[in-house]
Amino acid sequence: MFDNLQLGLETAISPENLLWCFVGVMLGTVIGMLPGLGSATGVAILLPVTLGMEPVTALIMLAGIYYGSQYGASTSSILISTPGDSSSVVLTLDGYQMARKGRAGAALAVAALSSFLAAVISLIGLMALARPIADLALEFGPPENLAVILLGLATIVSFAGENMLRSLIMAAVGLLISMVGVASGFTTARFTFGNVNLLSGLDFVAVMIGIFAIGEVLQQIHRGGDPPIRARFRDLMLTKDEFRRSIAPAFRGTGLGFGLGVLPGAGATLATFMSYGLEKQVSKNRKEIGKGAVEGVAAPEASNNAAANASFIPTLSLGIPGSGTTAVLLGAFVIFGLQPGPQLFDQQPDLVWGLLVSFFFGNLLLLILNLPLAPVFAQVLRVPYSYLYPIILFMALIGAFAIGNNTFALWVVFGAGVFGYFMKRFDFPAAPLVLGLVLGPLLERSLVQTSSMGRGNLLILFERPISATLTVAAILAILAPVLLRAVRRRRRSALTSEREEIRQ
Amino acid sequence: MMSEAGQPVRRAPTKSDAVGTAFLAAIGAVALVMGLGYGMFGDGGQVGPGFLPSVAGAFIVVASAAELLRMYVAADRIRAAAAQERPAGDERDTFGRTANERTFAVTQVFGIVFAALLLVPVAGLLLSLAAMVLVITVWVERKPVLPAVLCTAGSLGLAYAVFVQFLGVPVPTGTLGLL
Repeated sequence: MFDNLQLGLETAISPENLLWCFVGVMLGTVIGMLPGLGSATGVAILLPVTLGMEPVTALIMLAGIYYGSQYGASTSSILISTPGDSSSVVLTLDGYQMARKGRAGAALAVAALSSFLAAVISLIGLMALARPIADLALEFGPPENLAVILLGLATIVSFAGENMLRSLIMAAVGLLISMVGVASGFTTARFTFGNVNLLSGLDFVAVMIGIFAIGEVLQQIHRGGDPPIRARFRDLMLTKDEFRRSIAPAFRGTGLGFGLGVLPGAGATLATFMSYGLEKQVSKNRKEIGKGAVEGVAAPEASNNAAANASFIPTLSLGIPGSGTTAVLLGAFVIFGLQPGPQLFDQQPDLVWGLLVSFFFGNLLLLILNLPLAPVFAQVLRVPYSYLYPIILFMALIGAFAIGNNTFALWVVFGAGVFGYFMKRFDFPAAPLVLGLVLGPLLERSLVQTSSMGRGNLLILFERPISATLTVAAILAILAPVLLRAVRRRRRSALTSEREEIRQ
Repeated sequence: MMSEAGQPVRRAPTKSDAVGTAFLAAIGAVALVMGLGYGMFGDGGQVGPGFLPSVAGAFIVVASAAELLRMYVAADRIRAAAAQERPAGDERDTFGRTANERTFAVTQVFGIVFAALLLVPVAGLLLSLAAMVLVITVWVERKPVLPAVLCTAGSLGLAYAVFVQFLGVPVPTGTLGLL
């Protein structure tokens, strides 16, 4: 392992690779901040730029764009509640609340520090566990994937507390929206109403931009808007208490993100929501989560970065992309004449380890760049909202167009914006809808495959140890809060009647 | 106002809230019926293309009905809490608008965005969106013309530099073909 580390260091630390890593994280940060342009789009757009480079240099730059854009997406979620990527949606909860309280700089700094911590730990994990984890990931068949998705949906619904019914409705609406178009694994077109634009489904990012960016803008106008934040520069810095409070959630988020990031599909998004749910259950300050707590930023951000790094495990060792962005990167490997798979580690050790070690330097660069820049970025909140929101609308709409160069996406954004506004007005939570939307196609694919494996019998879920454990955990995640509330209510009424008896 | 879970705390069940929830229930019912039409099960009892739409639709119907019931059962408690939160109707916000003016401003912004999207095939994407920014800042927000024009020009310049020049996005220029 140490020989590999040394080899990786020698490759990653060369001035040329460091320079392109720097360029990658910078470009990635800018791209990530633009609504709609997530890491996958960023890597895809800039892939042609790298074609003249050495393969290792090109891949280091593309990986830099990947995690740079994740950081950029977090920045726009925190500052203007406009997520650039699905995995940064959860930051619109506590990150944006922190920003509205004048702690935007602190939220951005926590995001940068948690990302860095996650990057370092997951890098060590990658080096030590890449092969064993890849072997374990091979054990995951459709029933296990289905069980993980059910657990993810159950977790997000369960942490809605009193709003559980509305969360259930929104998760189901998210699933329904994801089913528009030709069915996954079938040839039937669903909910298209004869419109050819709907055959390929509603673009997830366009829906997300509508619900979050447009919906938030309209709700702010309806609510009366928040005054511009006049915080002094030094008030935007991270305090010791905030730093201390974010350490444990960052570690928990890293662990969860690393575990889920290995799974193909929406690992990072699922990990961010699940780590947020976990903090709701275990954090000392869980009552503050949702109102602008650092724990609600540190945990999801760490899990996002850890999941992004872990998604390289199936990509590099099995040739199976762990996320949309690694799927694009897989294409880059092929363009450079490389074949990801178990033999890549033996045939191209300098490339593999150089790329992995470059994650550390890339994240270090991001930290160095973003810690001092966090209060500067936060100055955007000083712009009066009357000028800021028309610009947000402009960027959101052009960003949505840029996803597929299709004007139909603009109408999807508009429709989703109207829906998002009414959701906010009547307190229907957005997070379950987003997760339902992201996981819908994966859920259906796993469901169809599981059904096929069980010859129509879905109880196969309980016949395999991993899927059975995960399914039971999903059922418990839904039932436990309901039962606990009922028990508490019964205890409270028993106590009240006891007191009344004593009084009499 | 937010709950502990980061979700907004529910207000009193207004008529529109109940109508909205009932509308969702109707969407669920439509999805359920259409899902049944697509076929719940395929050969050998395996999951068909209508299975998940039907299940999701049924979930929406049941959960919406339960929510409507809960809304009215808990109505008194919620209404009492909301009465304490609700600001006075004629109170002016940070934009300097009353509650009625705010509702009208939302409608205006909806209308302007809609009109800007209709304008795209004629004026092109960038010019339509720039016009949208200008109209919102001058007409809805009643800002002075010069800062509004500067804001519009800045947005247009930034979008052009990033999306057209840097990322090479082929933005539609419309029948006018200007930008």
